[in-house]
Amino acid sequence: MRRGNITYVIVLTLLVGLSIIWFIPVIWMIGTAFKPQSDIFEVPPRIWPKRLVIDNVIVISTQWPVGQWFLNSFVVALGTTMLSLFLSIFAAYAFARLRWPGRDLLFVCLLIFMFVPWQINIVPLFFLASNLKLLNTLPGVILPMAGMPIGVFLLRQFFLNIPGEIEDAARVDGCGRLGILFRIIIPMSGPVLAAYSLYIFNYAWNEFLWSLICLQRRQVMTLTIGLKLIQGAYTRDYGLVMAGAFLGALPSFLMFILARRWMIRAFVMASSVGKG
Amino acid sequence: MRKYLKRYRANDAIIGFLYILPYVACWSIFLAYPVGYGFYLSLFCWDPLRGSQFVGFTNYQRLLFDPRFINAILVSLKFVVMTVPLVIFFGALMAFGLWYLRHYKKIVSISQALFFIPYTLSVSVIAITWRWLLDRNVGFFQYYMSQIGLPVLLVDPSLALPTIAFVTTWWIAGYRMLIFQAALEDIPVEVVEAAIIDGASFRVLVMKIFFPLLKPAMTFAIIFTIVMAFQMFGQVFLMTEGGPGRSTELLALYIYRSAFDYLDLGRAAAAGFILGILVLSVSLVWIKKGMKSALQ
Repeated sequence: MRRGNITYVIVLTLLVGLSIIWFIPVIWMIGTAFKPQSDIFEVPPRIWPKRLVIDNVIVISTQWPVGQWFLNSFVVALGTTMLSLFLSIFAAYAFARLRWPGRDLLFVCLLIFMFVPWQINIVPLFFLASNLKLLNTLPGVILPMAGMPIGVFLLRQFFLNIPGEIEDAARVDGCGRLGILFRIIIPMSGPVLAAYSLYIFNYAWNEFLWSLICLQRRQVMTLTIGLKLIQGAYTRDYGLVMAGAFLGALPSFLMFILARRWMIRAFVMASSVGKG
Repeated sequence: MRKYLKRYRANDAIIGFLYILPYVACWSIFLAYPVGYGFYLSLFCWDPLRGSQFVGFTNYQRLLFDPRFINAILVSLKFVVMTVPLVIFFGALMAFGLWYLRHYKKIVSISQALFFIPYTLSVSVIAITWRWLLDRNVGFFQYYMSQIGLPVLLVDPSLALPTIAFVTTWWIAGYRMLIFQAALEDIPVEVVEAAIIDGASFRVLVMKIFFPLLKPAMTFAIIFTIVMAFQMFGQVFLMTEGGPGRSTELLALYIYRSAFDYLDLGRAAAAGFILGILVLSVSLVWIKKGMKSALQ
């Protein structure tokens, strides 16, 4: 395999090189967020500042309600995750294990509607949210996201693979449907629930279009929407803008650093039901 | 015991309805109902002062003669044509590279993370970052590109859209990489090794082993990338605002502007409906497959 070795070295160099180049924008964003004001217009520009200061983050947090936005984002992401888990677990179980009239028809409807893009919905959703007094409220953003069918698909697929004999045994022992769900199905689905939670949390944290329309008032904005305001307010002080971007990216970074494997598993799973 | 189980099954329908109810309520109010409602709205001319008027398909007719809408459709199509091959190419390149180096576990996991992290970031984060990387005065990338004589990408009418396509590729290619990696993992290594020992050429390896085995993953990656590219909004909204001129005004941005800048909600709803049909027709293949597995 001598020839193989040379190819290995070449592929290795190219791939590692590509991955580093690929990551430059992120490195630059982080570096610029912590760059001293005085170095912003340095020529030639540097990718990573000579010294790191936290001034940008402090300035941006005093000029904008960044703390409030961060909290709003967190409420939206966590609220979406919890509600979606609750709704999807019951729905997925009903699809995977229970027979009821109209089940297959409803499932096909979910499949078709999964591909309906937000863009077709923004106008009617705007009217709907306004009628339900949900505009400029966080539930107005949470509820449509919690209704997305991806969780139902993922969990249903997983539940289908849990052997039915386990359930039958539990039933004979006098365990009801609710008991089966909470004592057997949910404990057995730990991995898929964890992965889905990460996926939907990240999705909700990042959601842009509907939040942009629904959350117009400053106090209720999420960080991703607030970034648009920050971006529009500075024509040259881009260190401040990058500090905002860094805060917006922070949860995803943290999730990736703390649970890289799980994050990747989450996205692979999500792709298997055809989303994203 | 059989009788016991049977009695259980009779209850299933009721329990099934109870379990599905909360989800279906949320889904039908916030996802399904708006689609029908959107179509209904698209049949009205919306006027805040005189009230809305039923106008039938006039909004659709007006769209067909609206040069701005035609432009948006063309820009979206161009964007799809540019983005999809780039995304698939880079995604496949990354996946093959990582697969080839699979014995270097550490390197593979680090490179994979570097490729994938952009996708986990919000569109507003990546759009703002790139906007400043390519800023005409202070942009880090733009500085070095100007040094070698390239024009300012985001203000050049013919280069702005390809630039957005490239940024989008940077953002989402890592996700396609994951899909391909998952597919490559399913390829039995013995088959490949046996073929190599038998002296199969690179071309034969690709055409006879990798391509047929990856075809399903490839098909769906392409479909989803098309669907995704049709829906892109944040990048153009934050990086170019549709400009220069209207050279990057994608369909989604057109809809957003018709609705919330010009308050022409009937027309926006109609354009949204057209986009929905476009996307659905592309994803029909997947839906069919999903149906088969659902009804098996």
